[in-house]
Amino acid sequence: MIVPLTHVLILAAILFCLGLGCVLAWSSNVIMLLIGIEIMLNAAMLVFVGGSCQWGMADGQVFALMIIAMTSAEVSLALALVVYLHRRRKTVDVDAFRELRDNETKP
Amino acid sequence: MKLSLELIVLLPLLGSLFNALLGRIVPRRLAETIACAVIWGSFVAALAAARAYSGPVTMEMASWLSAFDFHAPLTLYLDSLSLILCLMITFVCGLIHVYAVGYMQDEPGYCRFFALLNLFVAAMLLLVLAENLPLLYLGWEGVGFCSYFLIGFWYQDPNNATAGRKAFIVTRIGDVGLALAIVWIFQSLGTVSITQVNQMGHSLPLGVITGLGLLMLLGAMGKSAQVPLMVWLPDAMAGPTPVSAQIHAATMVTAGVYLLMRLFPLIGLSATVTAAIAVTGALTAFYGATCALVQRDLKRILAYSTISQIGYMVLGVGVGALTASTFHLIEHAFFKALLFLGAGCVITALHHEQDIFRMGGLRRTLPATFYCFLAGALCLAGLPLTGGFFSKDGILAAVWQQGGLLGGGLYALGLLTALLTAVYTFRMVFLIFGGNEAQGPLASAPLAAKGKPHQTLPSVMQWTLIPLALLGLGGGLLNLPAYLGQGWMAQLLAPLDHGDQHGLSLGVELTLQGLAASISLAGVALAWFRFGGARRAQRLAEAEQPVRGLAAFLLAGWYVDALYRLLFVRPYAWLSGVLWQGVDEGLVDQSFDQMGTLLGRCGQRLGSWSCGRVSIYLLSLSAGAALCIGWFAWGAL
Repeated sequence: MIVPLTHVLILAAILFCLGLGCVLAWSSNVIMLLIGIEIMLNAAMLVFVGGSCQWGMADGQVFALMIIAMTSAEVSLALALVVYLHRRRKTVDVDAFRELRDNETKP
Repeated sequence: MKLSLELIVLLPLLGSLFNALLGRIVPRRLAETIACAVIWGSFVAALAAARAYSGPVTMEMASWLSAFDFHAPLTLYLDSLSLILCLMITFVCGLIHVYAVGYMQDEPGYCRFFALLNLFVAAMLLLVLAENLPLLYLGWEGVGFCSYFLIGFWYQDPNNATAGRKAFIVTRIGDVGLALAIVWIFQSLGTVSITQVNQMGHSLPLGVITGLGLLMLLGAMGKSAQVPLMVWLPDAMAGPTPVSAQIHAATMVTAGVYLLMRLFPLIGLSATVTAAIAVTGALTAFYGATCALVQRDLKRILAYSTISQIGYMVLGVGVGALTASTFHLIEHAFFKALLFLGAGCVITALHHEQDIFRMGGLRRTLPATFYCFLAGALCLAGLPLTGGFFSKDGILAAVWQQGGLLGGGLYALGLLTALLTAVYTFRMVFLIFGGNEAQGPLASAPLAAKGKPHQTLPSVMQWTLIPLALLGLGGGLLNLPAYLGQGWMAQLLAPLDHGDQHGLSLGVELTLQGLAASISLAGVALAWFRFGGARRAQRLAEAEQPVRGLAAFLLAGWYVDALYRLLFVRPYAWLSGVLWQGVDEGLVDQSFDQMGTLLGRCGQRLGSWSCGRVSIYLLSLSAGAALCIGWFAWGAL
């Protein structure tokens, strides 16, 4: 393998932290949140593929393919949800949706 | 023989079950008939057993308690004592049942009543026929259980319910003594069979026998209403009159006397125990008689007279005169049942008026009841040639024969009690039946208010008095004194008596009987001078004044109730109050309340974290994950 595993892992860690930062910092927009999650998933996929190359086994790549399939399904569903939420409340701020919270909580 | 023995106990039990389970479904007449029929069937079975009787029989019906070397099977034991008692119990209870049909004719809860009444008889018969102590204890407790329910039969009135509870609790104090004695007997002898225990008595040290005897005496005190546990009996009058008759005459109170007789071969070995029994009996006899002197309630007079007469029986057991004691027990059952049933007639006829100072002239309006009641009163007062005279004299003669300072003192106390008995008995008779109805300021007031002067009695209530009256009067024939030829009871019970009871010379015996006869006649004369004829009206007028001094002391039963309330009830109530309000409500409940409040507050604190903002959740999730990873990384380094 040309690229050493360590480099792959470092890259994946950087990607993951970027995704996490996106999720934490941009919570006012559901779409940015979804993008952050995609980036984190991609970081995980990179680790799978790197590991698969390192030890010469196909399992990691198979798993990466499954994650791709799963994320595409998830994104299509999530975007539909976002559209629906936006229609209802005219906003995409995640913190605006808190109906499940117990309203009668005393201070 | 086996079959009849089984039937004696099982028939009343079946009757009780029938009335309890099916009594509401079948017509009333059938339920009543069955309740009476089972008792009479039991009487017939007892008669059959008596015909076939040739010696003590032991019969094992089934196994019951059995663990390691402890065995208490369901075994019945029939000897002369239990045979005589069975005959008496079934006969008297049979009459009482028939009477109860008339007495309770307006009572809606008759199923409950007859079921309990039958169960009462079954428990008493089991007690009498039991061969081992645990079985006897089963009957003993069964009797207590039924008496509790029957005394508080009209439980809607809290007073009645309280009287039932009082009877239950006071007798329970005695029961503890009996239970301890049974355990002790098993521990020291390794058996609970009464026949074996009685034979093995000599192998025990005297101290153990004394302890056992005193514990047994405690049990008998509770059940037989002896001093100092006699307080429940006067209150037990709260129950219906047939119940009072059954408790006083045939079942319940004789159980204690029976227990002492049954185990006399064991406990009679200790002179301390016999002396204690005799003194208890004599004191009780005196106590009951003095209290009965001033009571106004008809049923309370009879209750105190029962206490007094049971005292005589216990006194007889104490001096070893088991035959005389048994004879008095049987005789007492007849005349006390008679008096109670007669009192029930009087009370029913007068619309549930129980104050003897408000009665009068009933000898004309209720002649049948009057003559029967008079027969009972003659027996109770011990007038010569009645059954009560012979039985009481038998006990007194045995006490005299005991001799010594103790015997002499007890004899004097017994004679004094006999005098008092005659006085209070005829005070009652003169006040209820003497005079005219209109006489006296109080006599007619409550009756006039109710319109009809006399309620008509169901005839069955008066019929049942007649056989009892005949048996009470002629009961002396059952056990004639030695100089008139032995009675069959003495011959039958001969194996029971250990000392020679017939050692008195004819002259002494006749003198003693003459003394007893003149004492009772003197008592009747005293009662006549105070309550008879023209002086009756004067007494009625005096009765309106509040009682003072000695009379008040006696009316309140020597203030024993007040004393017990002060000594036991009030400290107990105080302790209960402290435990209830201080410990239970204050400590236990409060601490649980506090804990609940604390946990609730914690939950609210934690709950306020769930604010519903997704960004905060995400942040805390990643912070937590970072913490975990950091922790592991730190560990790896």
